[in-house]
Amino acid sequence: MNGISSAFWDLLRPQAALAVGALAVLAAGASRRVSTRVVKWLALAAVAVALLLLMTVRLQVVCLPLLRSDLLGSGLQAVFLSAAIPLLYLMEPADEIPPALVLGSLIGMGLIAVSGNLLMLFIGLELMSVPAYLLVARSRSPQALEASVKYFFAGGTASAIYLMGMALHFRAAGSLVLAPAPGPAGAAGLALMAAAAFFKLGAVPMHFWLPDVYEASDPELAGFFSTGLKAAAVLFLARLVPMAAPAGALVPALAWFAVLTILFGAVVALRQQNLQRLLAYSSISHAGFMMLAVAAWAKQGLAAPAAGALFFYLAAYLFMSGGAFLWLKAAGVRTRAELLGLAKARPGSAAVFAVLLLALAGIPPTAGFAAKFLVFWEAFKAGLYVPLLLAGLGALVSLGYYLGLIRDMYFDEAGPEPVKAVGPAPARWFALGCAAASVLLGLTPWLMDWFRPGMLGLRP
Amino acid sequence: MNALALALNFAAVAAIMLLLCNVGKLFGPTARHEGDAELPYETGLPPMEEAGRGMSALYWRFAVLFVVFDVDLAFLLPWALNRSALTGESLASVTVFVGLLLFMLGYFWRKGSLSCRP
Repeated sequence: MNGISSAFWDLLRPQAALAVGALAVLAAGASRRVSTRVVKWLALAAVAVALLLLMTVRLQVVCLPLLRSDLLGSGLQAVFLSAAIPLLYLMEPADEIPPALVLGSLIGMGLIAVSGNLLMLFIGLELMSVPAYLLVARSRSPQALEASVKYFFAGGTASAIYLMGMALHFRAAGSLVLAPAPGPAGAAGLALMAAAAFFKLGAVPMHFWLPDVYEASDPELAGFFSTGLKAAAVLFLARLVPMAAPAGALVPALAWFAVLTILFGAVVALRQQNLQRLLAYSSISHAGFMMLAVAAWAKQGLAAPAAGALFFYLAAYLFMSGGAFLWLKAAGVRTRAELLGLAKARPGSAAVFAVLLLALAGIPPTAGFAAKFLVFWEAFKAGLYVPLLLAGLGALVSLGYYLGLIRDMYFDEAGPEPVKAVGPAPARWFALGCAAASVLLGLTPWLMDWFRPGMLGLRP
Repeated sequence: MNALALALNFAAVAAIMLLLCNVGKLFGPTARHEGDAELPYETGLPPMEEAGRGMSALYWRFAVLFVVFDVDLAFLLPWALNRSALTGESLASVTVFVGLLLFMLGYFWRKGSLSCRP
């Protein structure tokens, strides 16, 4: 029997830190002398330690029977670990269970990031999703329970579809390693597994659960779903891409579903009045751009620069979308009508939201522009001209609501329902930080290389 | 030709299903629908109350925990059956596994999930 190699434990170090953190959180919650404040800091410490350990994981491409590591995986792991920090800081849990659930979800995402086997991928997927259903149920909104059940059934269906695909793949290939499987059974298996990834990503036509969930969740939780969970879902999709039997067989499907997702999200968001629902449709639209980046990456034979563009999109999106949801929390705004004339009443707050919206729309000099530019450039290099054109059209349509929100704030008189509620101060600081980061990243995209040399795809 | 074969297949399947559904009626004794023949059998006594009544939900946590630990037992069984081939490393990992189970059992106990009182 082979001993489990040291590289195995090396890759699992961040997940181990999170697991120890989750156990510590539960133990602290069970002892009645510890307050929920301490529990919160324990969870934050676990995430911080996991981030530090992630930096120390050796930077080579490792392939083991169950695990593998590469730059894209470790980069996106940093994205979703960072996405959990504002959530853990801002959530006001009644007991220790929500922080432990967040840590559990992060372990699942981490397993997706390092998995080199379909079964491991499935364990990561479930470990990521099940806490997410429970976290939605614990939100304050009256629709939280309904949304949670909807999410549970949609997610359960996705898992079942994935398992069916995995079984077909196993029949064709005789193994669960992430490698192509021959024949029609292999193709059908891959198609089913990709459909499950589309489900998790919220890609049209498997997006129907997403707006309800984002609307019913607390804003900070919706921000985590939109950034962290989305990064993990993209990674999940990216892990399936190399399994296409003639390499790049998934590209047309990815590109056209990406276009459909971009256009659908952009058009439907135009009519939304609830801001969290609007941002949810905007999140669907952005998922389309990420899929386009994945398609370009697959078309270019998994070239490193295309992976870099994908990573940069998700890193920028962490600040843009996460910041927008945190701003909703900070400003205590729920509907579009409450935005009217906000710039006169609270100019600073309105400016922060305007910057975040410009970043989401992809206006230079924000990170949103740099991210879209990188993705479009990679898609152009990959020769995906028609999808590229339609994606550009989608980006143009999305200006309609991003700029519409800015017009509401700056050029409209205050409506009949001015905002009185103001959210907690830390949320304001987080939103401000995200706005600053999305401008800074737009001006200096190479700052990303500070985190990991070669992150933008100079190395595989 | 193929369509005809498919239609014949469907017809055959439908006929067999109809037959199987009614084989009791065709060959069995005639059913009596009188007196207490329709009552569920309960130790020979007439039933005291409806079987489809609501159950108390106090037991559900206990039931869920039972299922969880039962599944974990299923993981331990292959380990125990292969004990001759095991190394110190696998002993360590299974100890961690059992330790986690014990930790969670203690947690549930502490949180009062093991009590059946409301």
